[in-house]
Amino acid sequence: MSKELQINIEGFLLKNGKKGKVSNLIPLTGGASAETWKFNFSNKENSEDLILRKGSGKKSPLAVLKTEEAEIQKKVKSFGAPVPEIVAISYDEKDLGDAYLMNLIPGESIARKILRDDKFSSAREKLAFQCGEALAKIHSVDLKDFTKVPKKPIEEEIDRLYLTYKSFKQPLPVFEYAFVWLNQQDFTTRDDALVHGDFRLGNLMVDESGLAAVIDWEMVSIGNPMLDIGWMCINSWRFGQSEKVVGGFGDLDEFLQGYRSISKEQIDKDEVRVWQILGTLRWGVICLIQVYAHLNGDLNSLEKAAIGRRVSETEIDLMDLLFLGGK
Amino acid sequence: MIFDRPTSTELVEVVSEFLEIEIKNQLPNHLAFKTQIAINVLNIVKRELTNEEVLTKESKTILLNLFKDSEEASIEKLAIQIQEGKFKLDSAELKEALIEITKKKISVDNPGYSTYKKLIK
Repeated sequence: MSKELQINIEGFLLKNGKKGKVSNLIPLTGGASAETWKFNFSNKENSEDLILRKGSGKKSPLAVLKTEEAEIQKKVKSFGAPVPEIVAISYDEKDLGDAYLMNLIPGESIARKILRDDKFSSAREKLAFQCGEALAKIHSVDLKDFTKVPKKPIEEEIDRLYLTYKSFKQPLPVFEYAFVWLNQQDFTTRDDALVHGDFRLGNLMVDESGLAAVIDWEMVSIGNPMLDIGWMCINSWRFGQSEKVVGGFGDLDEFLQGYRSISKEQIDKDEVRVWQILGTLRWGVICLIQVYAHLNGDLNSLEKAAIGRRVSETEIDLMDLLFLGGK
Repeated sequence: MIFDRPTSTELVEVVSEFLEIEIKNQLPNHLAFKTQIAINVLNIVKRELTNEEVLTKESKTILLNLFKDSEEASIEKLAIQIQEGKFKLDSAELKEALIEITKKKISVDNPGYSTYKKLIK
């Protein structure tokens, strides 16, 4: 399998004007909708580490195609946001299928290491500001360059989440409460923007000087930019460091300062709270999707089964945010 | 109860300890990580077996207070009635009931969770 893939990558790069040898081909993750491989590419002139992202061929309702993901990253990079450089895009089954090659950004993506290892201690101090800056750059790109990105108005997203939750027939009064509450909020005050959709530790490459790249663009959409801000601030993405609101490493003020250093948008903390509530509920529904993939026999897995009992974490976070202000 | 000791709780406990003490450290990282998940799951089962009866009874009392009618008092009915708008969102009784029931669930699922620890202080 990997020998065949190696030959295919070499052939595809040759077609793109890069002649050389592929070695050390290692799978990084095997997600349901995509696979990621790391390898070295070398010829007489140089040697570089590259990443292959390859779609399963099935169109997932949540994720965009890999080719689209690559095109979006290319354009976002041209607006100055930190993303890996795209080396080549494969559109054809005769090449690599729905796939692309990009530069490997040196750094760490594992949240617990970023939050705890000493070597990231000075990175952690700057990271909240840098995340704010990066998000503001992503949110201020010109949308006429992104006509192929799916539009996801937040009201429709909330309806979609509700139908997904309902489809599992597991009654959760706290979720019902949060949905009723969210349906009473006014989301019309923001203009549409490019939304990353999964901006959090795990999808950020961090090196010793801070944020190196924003990766994993498969949930990208055009919609309300506050989604990314709230998502970054939910307790589920603080990995146990709950006193640090932003990703378990930073304060909301620093994060919003970073955002305002690029964007003119004014964001206040009450608005962030609404989007933390939405983000927490969204994560709760994603937990349900995962556990029912296990229970329905689509994807038998200990991790997926265990995540079912993490739904109550999102319920208690919702209670805290809704009734006690999350403080 | 027709079963002899060890009780179900004691059995789950001994398997959890076996994985923790004798197995986990013998494994490569990714399997040690999965074994930790297995230990966590067994600990959920242990807490549920130990506390299920009391927590279910207490939750029933909370639901009865809210519905005043034993026929109606269930989690399913509570979910439906919230959705149908039969409760005011700012009802103190409703909020209290939701918080208390959620606390009982998470005391079994993950009593170390930050928000739970904050709310029981």
